[in-house]
Amino acid sequence: MTTALQLKDVAKSFGNTQIIRDVDLDIAHGELHAMIGPNGAGKSTLFNLISGKYHVSGGTISFYDSEITNKEPYEISRMGLGRSFQVTNIFPRMSVYENLRCGVLWSTGHRYSFWHLVNRQRDVNERTEEVLEMIGLTGRRDVPAGMLSYSDQRALEIGITIAGDPKMIMLDEPTAGMSHSETEQAVALIRKVSKGKTLVMVEHDMGVVFDLADKISVLVYGEIIASDAPQNIRNNAAVQEAYLGTEQH
Amino acid sequence: MNGMTKNSPIWIAAAVLFAILPFIFQSGFALNILSQMGVFIIFALAYNMLLGQGGMLSFGHAIYFGLAGYFTAHFITLMGEEALPYFPISLIPLFGGLAGLICGIVVGYVSTRRAGTTFAMISLGFGELVTASTLILIAFFNGEEGIQTDRWVGPEPFGINYGSDIQVYYLIAIWCLLCMIAMFFLTKTPFGRMSNAVRDNAERVQFIGYNTQRVRWLAFALSSFFAGAAGSLHVMNYEHVGFETVSVAQSGLVLFMAYIGGVGHFIGPVLGAILITILNSTLSDLTEAWFLYLGLIFVVIVLFSPGGLAGIVMMHEPIWKTSPRLLASLVVPYIYGIATTLVALCGLIGMIEMLYYRSTTFSADTSTSIYGVTVDTASVVPWLVFIVVTGVGVYLCRMSYPGMAHSWNAVINDIKQRMVS
Repeated sequence: MTTALQLKDVAKSFGNTQIIRDVDLDIAHGELHAMIGPNGAGKSTLFNLISGKYHVSGGTISFYDSEITNKEPYEISRMGLGRSFQVTNIFPRMSVYENLRCGVLWSTGHRYSFWHLVNRQRDVNERTEEVLEMIGLTGRRDVPAGMLSYSDQRALEIGITIAGDPKMIMLDEPTAGMSHSETEQAVALIRKVSKGKTLVMVEHDMGVVFDLADKISVLVYGEIIASDAPQNIRNNAAVQEAYLGTEQH
Repeated sequence: MNGMTKNSPIWIAAAVLFAILPFIFQSGFALNILSQMGVFIIFALAYNMLLGQGGMLSFGHAIYFGLAGYFTAHFITLMGEEALPYFPISLIPLFGGLAGLICGIVVGYVSTRRAGTTFAMISLGFGELVTASTLILIAFFNGEEGIQTDRWVGPEPFGINYGSDIQVYYLIAIWCLLCMIAMFFLTKTPFGRMSNAVRDNAERVQFIGYNTQRVRWLAFALSSFFAGAAGSLHVMNYEHVGFETVSVAQSGLVLFMAYIGGVGHFIGPVLGAILITILNSTLSDLTEAWFLYLGLIFVVIVLFSPGGLAGIVMMHEPIWKTSPRLLASLVVPYIYGIATTLVALCGLIGMIEMLYYRSTTFSADTSTSIYGVTVDTASVVPWLVFIVVTGVGVYLCRMSYPGMAHSWNAVINDIKQRMVS
């Protein structure tokens, strides 16, 4: 079994505050992995360490057997790791189509080209249309992204993430702030886009987590206290005490 | 439909216009203004590759314009002395562009590492540095005098020797058109789109595979290329290059052109360059307070129409597309609005002119000419007249502006209704 992502003794401090403490984590290729934990546990920080937004204070991160520790976000992205953001992070002045196309361009090898017309590139157009269709925004193709509804913006956020056809997708709270029916649609979308890929997501909605994930890691105070299949997590005493237990009070 | 071919009628129209303009405006003065316009259209569009397309506010972009000018002047002079092999004079903007490009690559490597305020500060620093150098490195810049050169060098294919201003005009016009097309093309390339993406959300760009610094650097270098091309044409036009071409004042002027014209639309800087070149050449002869008026125009645009002139025009595009008749319904309120504004401006300008005259002239003669009428600035009468005119104008504006707003809202509501039904 191929290991998609491997973290060894990863630590992160901001000043004297240790946010992530010696985290070890293995995620297999094709796994749908959810990361849960109370607010402030360090889930988003861990995402930012893996995707290169922050540099680690210690430890190593490797992605499909290549070390990516402290590489720049664009280098990690080019290796096939796509991530989304907790707070919608799109190009609000551009149309939906242009947003997705930005996500496609590097992966189709157009890089910094200033000698090609972008709308003449068949590979770019085909892939952009495909992603547009996949996230269900074909009807909103030419709408400026900033004018979309919240849930459509969240779908676009995922669309930009997957546009470059990454091997691994990291989604940071993809259903945050959504209504029940919107969440259902989002789950269906996540299932669709993660087919054949590795998925890591941070999620607060336990329904979504237990519905989607093959494996769940529980992060508390910067440490992973359990990483196991959903049914084992449910029955794990330490998890119940540290995390699920607190919700029942 | 493709973006470039769709626009080819516009380019052809522009080419025809450029070709016939000298026949319409035949005086030497007009031809000179037209040539200047061509140079500044290139420069303002190049500047907008940074500001409008890439979101980089530069206070020192004239250094690529000016330095390329100096290099071009030396180059032409050395060619004339046969110290350098001959390079076709008609292709001189390529040489200027290359000079600009090299300067842009070097400076851009440092300045584009940061965006926003830091970038703006670094650009200002380099602008001051080069301006100061003109007085220090005399061998290259020749201080305040600048450098003269003679553009009439080398062979004369088909009689093209740039001995006359009309030949220089056509040289500038052709290169202006080529540069406009090239810069428009650039906005449609992967680089152009990513430049916009970096402007709008640099953080996200990093996570879709792009090095934001590299995108900014490339934009900076290409922009410097076109600024350099404009600089070399400037030298061809005047056969002279002076320290003012690299100065922060020149950088400010191109910023004004781009912004007043409108940074959000490709055509914006073109409009700005045309307008400000005309005003610069005509108003500066009429009034010493010209820079004050330019500043006021800039402030008014920043406050009330951040989209610039192009923004105002494009605001009406959906109305025109829905129904030209709707647009026609705005004409009368607009005429009222503009007329009342002119009345107020008339009074205000009168007062400014008198103030300016009194604060800058030290002769015993207190009378000056305003609107072709001789007025005595020491007398109270003209002051009263201008105060009253301003007051009346402001009062009339307060009557006409709500009418404009009302008509505008009515039209917009009408369009919304049509969209729903």
